[in-house]
Amino acid sequence: MYPAIIEDYLRPNSVDEALKAAGKYDAGEAMFIAGGQSLMQAVKSRLVRPRCVIDLQSIKELKGISASGAGIRIGAMTRYVDVAADTNLKRAYGALSDAAAHVGDRQVRNRGTIGGSLCWNYVAACMPAANLAVGSSMELISATGKKRTVIADEFIKGPLETARADDEVLLAITLPAAPAKAGSAYKKWGVVTDALPVIGVAVYIEVDGGGAITKARLGVGGLSTGPKRAKGAEAALIGKKAGEAGIGTALEKAAAEIETQSDHWADSTYRKNLIRTLGADILASAFARAAGK
Amino acid sequence: MNKTVKITINGETFEQSVPIRLLLSDFIREVAGLTGTHIGCTYEGVCGACTVQLDGAAVKSCLMLASQADGHEVTTIEGLATDGKLTPLQQAFNDHHALQCGFCTPGILMNMDEFLKKHPNPSDDEIRVGLIGNLCRCTGYGHIVDAVRDASKRAR
Repeated sequence: MYPAIIEDYLRPNSVDEALKAAGKYDAGEAMFIAGGQSLMQAVKSRLVRPRCVIDLQSIKELKGISASGAGIRIGAMTRYVDVAADTNLKRAYGALSDAAAHVGDRQVRNRGTIGGSLCWNYVAACMPAANLAVGSSMELISATGKKRTVIADEFIKGPLETARADDEVLLAITLPAAPAKAGSAYKKWGVVTDALPVIGVAVYIEVDGGGAITKARLGVGGLSTGPKRAKGAEAALIGKKAGEAGIGTALEKAAAEIETQSDHWADSTYRKNLIRTLGADILASAFARAAGK
Repeated sequence: MNKTVKITINGETFEQSVPIRLLLSDFIREVAGLTGTHIGCTYEGVCGACTVQLDGAAVKSCLMLASQADGHEVTTIEGLATDGKLTPLQQAFNDHHALQCGFCTPGILMNMDEFLKKHPNPSDDEIRVGLIGNLCRCTGYGHIVDAVRDASKRAR
């Protein structure tokens, strides 16, 4: 596979320049490139055929992770390797760190970005499910300079679909300040270590002083219909403590309510088994993280 | 259609007008004439044989356009040894017979060279996970892991 002819390559130094550059083309003819670890493959296979590639690498404001009292802000162009290593994302938002640490391989993590993954929203990707679980928000800016914030549940749509318009740039992923007793985790299963997820499951929990869950969000990826939350399971997790039988019951609910496909990697029943098994592992991790361990 | 790019490879600067669709791997091989960077999988990003270091970070050069590397520094397999003197990692590969046909070796060395800078004392599991992006179709990885482990000890 080799890319088809690309007419123009631009490397703007600011978001404003990037938006202006995109504005010179009809919708969809110019594409923003972040790390390009998915987009280059799509360009080669002619899944997309941009006339112009707008490279966001020189826009400093899109890179880096900052934490304040209000929460955490992850620049859209922050690489997986940097997301995985960031100490702000260890406990409440450990699911993002878990996901970033196991995307592809070292070479992919050295270039691939969290924002690129979310905007591409590939079926077998880790970041969309993890972001559904932690309840992040996406900060977008349009060609008119108008900013809007979209919650992950609304940003992430079906396979390869998001709420981002072609002429919008994803600026950052934002996370609210988490309460002291919060933890999250992500785990996937693929045919080889760190492969694309056949199923990936992420959970975020908040617990009370007695260790019982007061809030839960469960995201599942690797689904042919796109990543989904298991809201029945989330409700069933409320009040449960680490190690209780109710955890397993809640995960049964998740396996039952999530529609899973059969394909050459795994059949539907096996995928449901993965949701239960991976779910038990990540809940154990999330409880430990919520307890500060 | 074309763009003039300037890429420093192993300290030497190459400036040329190239098609925008030209991949970095082919810029290295065809423009710079450095054929140690290999293409092992028809540019699908799965084999890792084209791994080079971009500003010090191991990346697959078939997964980016040469234009994206404009203004950056690339190190290829030809840039590891100085004056014919192998690095400890290269010497360890030689000593441990960590290759058979050698096609994947340049990519593995460019990846592991950076890996050892970040993980100077790696466990075997860390080495194996670090190698996920590089396919070797002959050796079965045992000797490769031995070589990387030994190189980490020699460097200490």
